[in-house]
Amino acid sequence: MRAAPRTPLVLAVLLLAYVAVPLAFGGQDYVMSLIIAALTIGGIAVAWALLGNLGGLVSFGHAAFFGVGAYVSALLTLDAGWPVLPAMLAGGLGAAVASVATLPALRLRGPYFALAILAYAHIFKILAVEFESVTGGAGGLLSIPGFPTVLGLELGSKVGAYCLILTIVLAWMAVYAAIRGSTWGLALRAMHDSELATRVVGVPSTHLKALMLLVSAFMTGVIGAFNAHQISFLDPDYAFSGEWTVLPIAAAIFGGYRTVWGPVIGALAVYLVDQLVFKELMPSGHQLIFGLLLGAMILWSPQGLLPLISRLGLRSGEGGDKEGKPGARA
Amino acid sequence: MVELTLQALFSGLLAGGTYATLALGLALVFGTMRIINLAHGELVLLAAYVAFEMERSAGLNPLASIPVALVVVGLTALAIYLAVSRIRTDRELNSLLLTFGVAIVLTNLILIVWSADIRSTSSGWFLEGFVIADTLFSMRSEVVFFGVGLALIAATWWWLNHSWLGRALRAVSSNRDAALLMGVNPALVEGLSFVVSGVLATFSGIAIYCATVVFPALGHNLTIKAFVITVLAGMGSVPGVLIGAILIGMGESLTATFAKPSLQELTAMVVFLLILFLRPRGLFGRR
Repeated sequence: MRAAPRTPLVLAVLLLAYVAVPLAFGGQDYVMSLIIAALTIGGIAVAWALLGNLGGLVSFGHAAFFGVGAYVSALLTLDAGWPVLPAMLAGGLGAAVASVATLPALRLRGPYFALAILAYAHIFKILAVEFESVTGGAGGLLSIPGFPTVLGLELGSKVGAYCLILTIVLAWMAVYAAIRGSTWGLALRAMHDSELATRVVGVPSTHLKALMLLVSAFMTGVIGAFNAHQISFLDPDYAFSGEWTVLPIAAAIFGGYRTVWGPVIGALAVYLVDQLVFKELMPSGHQLIFGLLLGAMILWSPQGLLPLISRLGLRSGEGGDKEGKPGARA
Repeated sequence: MVELTLQALFSGLLAGGTYATLALGLALVFGTMRIINLAHGELVLLAAYVAFEMERSAGLNPLASIPVALVVVGLTALAIYLAVSRIRTDRELNSLLLTFGVAIVLTNLILIVWSADIRSTSSGWFLEGFVIADTLFSMRSEVVFFGVGLALIAATWWWLNHSWLGRALRAVSSNRDAALLMGVNPALVEGLSFVVSGVLATFSGIAIYCATVVFPALGHNLTIKAFVITVLAGMGSVPGVLIGAILIGMGESLTATFAKPSLQELTAMVVFLLILFLRPRGLFGRR
């Protein structure tokens, strides 16, 4: 709702992302892989933030949607011969369908949803191992088809994959921004302040939350499918790994999950620093940093780094905005 | 068939004692502060690894390392409380995220210090068989810690109902402001609930170390299991936690006996789903 004066900035960032990054790093496969992985995390972080900010639901189980999306898409291309891009969308739909199983938890207030979804991630992983005839079991799936060439752009190459994931992530950011700016977004944010009051004025709050869950699961599923086709290998431990939950949460909290840009910028910062610095320093257990980061952000700047910077940087206006509201109880 | 079933029920019953200790720690903090400590399973695991370290470096029996584990886990629980109590806005959401962060830190610290290897006790005494009436088999550790679990549950129940601090804790849990007006210091009571939860975590950690194996990623599963039992039992019932834990234990061992051991983990999840659908306040929940 306050996007208008930022248009030149957005255009500059888009230009930088689509033209400057491939030109600068296109030849360096390692750097491109890192950026692709960071954007993959960023995409999940946007989906997580949408659910957390608009739905008011903290999810510790986005790995479940990531894994389901990856498996559905991989199996459709391998067994049913689907082309890759439609299969990725089907992967997203599969994840959305899987999220329906988590709906009963929405009826309960409090931490039930968070714990229920943690349990679901666990269930899906066990199912992927046990249904060996379909999923290949613990051995996983090999040689999943890669991306096709579209309009002369070879999506299978590093630069192509980069453009694809960038487009997906930008699309998800646009969806997030659109929902946030719509009447639904208003109702959802009002719900965050007082669910009872919003119910009284006739907002179907549980339906809206459920809708946010479906959208978030769909987004995460498509990202999971992207990842499966990009690395062309899948096994239950990888597809449902806790990393797909932990990293996006750390990224979204770090960047500020109540903003549209926050999760992606958080993902780029957190993932790149982790891979380039901490992974070198401690080969095992470097996720420790994410835990510390998460705890520190919650204690000292729960709204994320971006609002903190902008609060320090530009003092003008925005005082009455959602960010940084003191003491309000949800 | 009958023998197999009886054996499965017996094993499940024994497992229930440890599960109850595990879940009661989580339920206590949940009841007092309305906060789910997502690092609870990691506290349990920490106790197990303290026992492992004492056994490896000093040759101590796991039972002898209980005092050290109590101090380590109790202080960690207190530190978590101090961090959680600093949260001012949106406590429900932020405390989940904060304790999730603590859980990640603890898991990775354990991974860094003790590596990803699977550990178990080297003290053979615990693993020796214990047979009742020539038909029901168990390990000594299971029987010992079933007894310890029952004693802890009984002690906690007595403490909550008959001691001044225990009643203060229940007062804070039902109405924090009213308790404050009656001269109860809520911060003290809430901190205490974390410490007691740490004590319960210590005993269940040692029990798990003696009876089975531990590895860094286990903490996560323990937290989920503790929460499932809490939901099954419902809020505010200590005996309910024990019964819920025994039901989950029996369900798991029946699944392992008649279906497939690898499906054992699914049992608790399915029970959890059924409870959410059919009876969200749990079997013994008030309110």
